[in-house]
Amino acid sequence: MRQTAGTLNRTWLTILGILCLAAGTALILQASGTLPTLLNTAPAWQSVVTGDLHAFLAPQGVAAVILIIGVIIGVLGLLWIIAQVPRRNPAGAYRLHGDGSRGFTLCDPSVLAAAVEKQINTLPGVVTSAALLRGTAYAPDLTLKVTVNDRADVQDVIHRIQTTTLPELSSALEAPLQSSRLQIDISGRTQSTGTVVHSTGTVVY
Amino acid sequence: MSRHDQRSTPLRHRPSRAVPALIAGTLLLAAGAALVWLSVTRLVSGSWPTVLQGPSDWLAGLAWNDPAVRQIGIAAVVAGVILLMCAVIPGPYSALTIGDSGTGAGEWAQTVQEQETVMTRRAVAHLAKARCVQIDGVGSASATATTRRVHLNVTTFLHEPGDLRQRITDAVRARLEETGLSPVPQVTATVRSRD
Repeated sequence: MRQTAGTLNRTWLTILGILCLAAGTALILQASGTLPTLLNTAPAWQSVVTGDLHAFLAPQGVAAVILIIGVIIGVLGLLWIIAQVPRRNPAGAYRLHGDGSRGFTLCDPSVLAAAVEKQINTLPGVVTSAALLRGTAYAPDLTLKVTVNDRADVQDVIHRIQTTTLPELSSALEAPLQSSRLQIDISGRTQSTGTVVHSTGTVVY
Repeated sequence: MSRHDQRSTPLRHRPSRAVPALIAGTLLLAAGAALVWLSVTRLVSGSWPTVLQGPSDWLAGLAWNDPAVRQIGIAAVVAGVILLMCAVIPGPYSALTIGDSGTGAGEWAQTVQEQETVMTRRAVAHLAKARCVQIDGVGSASATATTRRVHLNVTTFLHEPGDLRQRITDAVRARLEETGLSPVPQVTATVRSRD
């Protein structure tokens, strides 16, 4: 139900990968003498640092530029790390009013989500459930995680949710659901209890 | 940070590449912190830290055709290929799709424009294991599931397992079919007799 930074990660990994690949290829070609022949760069026998490095680093302006570069790189790295924390990204308050000239009607989506959870928890086989509403009042997105026991009739649970819970939520909001995403989970504890029927050894025809 | 504009994203998705992203982000943060420390030391004390003396001397004496330059280039190429592989290789889906049985579809289809029903791979493994341990002759079982395959490791008290393996795969496959997984993953089992 929580959202991760998959697209962000793929984009930045691709950018960094291309940069590393390009820089590495250029270094290898320069070291082997191919690049100087093709693009007339510095000869392979020449020193990497042609001038006086200490004199180059001496001005305070160089230290200031390095400080700015360091801050930018560090902040980007920190933001990237923070972006890895999965987020619920819930909807804000649903605005159920029209133009607002006759007053405002706001509804906290968590109230509706709690009602959905309460109804689903009464279904046979359901151990627990979690509902999250996103989107807007006129285009709501519902994400559900329903944990059932390992003997539950999963299709029956899905059918009951689809034929009772979703229409009732849609009816309450007076709008069709933009999307409904349902994740079925199985309780990790194996169901070993239930109605025990003792065998009498008598067969009745 | 409001990602996805408060919209839901598919529950069945590829891995988010969090581990390579965390490693790369940590390296970027460390590099940024090192640059900040070096430059702040220079601005405060008026001279660069002595730890920079060795690398700067090494760099001053380095020629382009030095083997070290080639090695750095190879290391960068390897790192680039690894980063690109992390970004490009899609990885397995996190969950399996559950199909709609079709009963009563017309009643609710008007209320939902887009519908997705999934079961996580871990849940499929739990379901398979739970069905397996109900079969007579099974002592204990563990299950692993991918999007295409469910494998069960079963221990039995029977000295001669006989057709136990077939009964297990048939029962688990039937349970996955009635659950509505689409497509139904291939079920395999390994049966070991407990000595």
